[in-house]
Amino acid sequence: MIRVRIPQKKKELEVPGPRRVGEILAAAGIRPTTVIVTQGKRLLTRDQRVEDGETIDVLSVVSGG
Amino acid sequence: MKCKRCRKAEAAVDLPSHNSAFCPDCFFLFFRRQVSEGIRKLSLLSPEDRILVCVSGGKDSLVLWDVLMELGYPTEGLYIDLGIEGYSDRSREKVLAYAGARGKEPIVVDLRAEGIPIPEAAKRARKEECSVCGTVKRYFFNRIAARRGFTVVATGHNLDDEAARLLGNLLHWDRDHLSRQHPLLPEVAEGLVRKVKPLWRVSEMETAAYGFLKGIDYVTEECPLSFDATSLIYKEALSMIEEKMPGTRRRFYQGFLDKNRGVLQNSDDKNRDVLENSVPGLCATCGAPTFAEVCGFCRLKEMVSQGRDRKRSAQ
Repeated sequence: MIRVRIPQKKKELEVPGPRRVGEILAAAGIRPTTVIVTQGKRLLTRDQRVEDGETIDVLSVVSGG
Repeated sequence: MKCKRCRKAEAAVDLPSHNSAFCPDCFFLFFRRQVSEGIRKLSLLSPEDRILVCVSGGKDSLVLWDVLMELGYPTEGLYIDLGIEGYSDRSREKVLAYAGARGKEPIVVDLRAEGIPIPEAAKRARKEECSVCGTVKRYFFNRIAARRGFTVVATGHNLDDEAARLLGNLLHWDRDHLSRQHPLLPEVAEGLVRKVKPLWRVSEMETAAYGFLKGIDYVTEECPLSFDATSLIYKEALSMIEEKMPGTRRRFYQGFLDKNRGVLQNSDDKNRDVLENSVPGLCATCGAPTFAEVCGFCRLKEMVSQGRDRKRSAQ
């Protein structure tokens, strides 16, 4: 399983791997233009493949006010 | 996916709105070029300017400060501690750490020390937090800039912020706000300094990507008082459209600036004529320039003070 952390929402979910970042976001119902997806110090593009057992972070970029 | 500029390195940022994708080094070039083009196109800044950059600890303002320094502009940071328990302390920490690592010491205004922390001020004055926050920030932007000899105040508003604001103004046909919506607000009078938004061409996602790749440690949590801000609804609507039709947000805002801003202004708009032809006087309480007898900040302070009196007499 791929571990998907969404720290600003204090949420974590698991999706079966391997999958592309774009597919993971779609499965989690997240619009790609509203987030950046990171893995350690790397920034991932939507077409990048995430393997089973890996962890990614989804960070919202939307600021209000 | 390979970088579409150098065609060698692996892409780290894909930008469907520009039909492009960049590796980190090429993305830095792209981002700086977007910002410097935005500055040049609208003559936002000149090399002689002394720039006061308003930093909140969030990604946009810290990235703005970073990119302006990289472009060689003389800048100082202003941090306003809003007095929001926890959130303000964490934001302040980020600003001080960022500035310290670059040999800078930001100017800090502490609203608790000023007797007007936002959550309490809004409660006592019986006003919306975001409205109180706007009044207080505008006051200190002008006051600090005027007193310390800055020629311009720069804020981190980005393309998403401006497009969302434009959508809101259009949905309400707010001609007054539409006529004043621009990345450059000229100096109205001494003490009401020029305001600029140099990030108007870059999206929130691009700003976040730049901050992340540059290793800028910004506060990722949102202001707890802005969770129901209407701008979030407009942003959500625009994101949905952007996803289906990449580049729409940019064309929407750029088109407004290029072609349609003048059309939306009403030549017989009385409010605008009054504003444009008026010369501000000085606030009877604090001496700041204002179009009323007492400035908005002093009126707010008075409302807060009355609210505190009401609370005391009720106890």
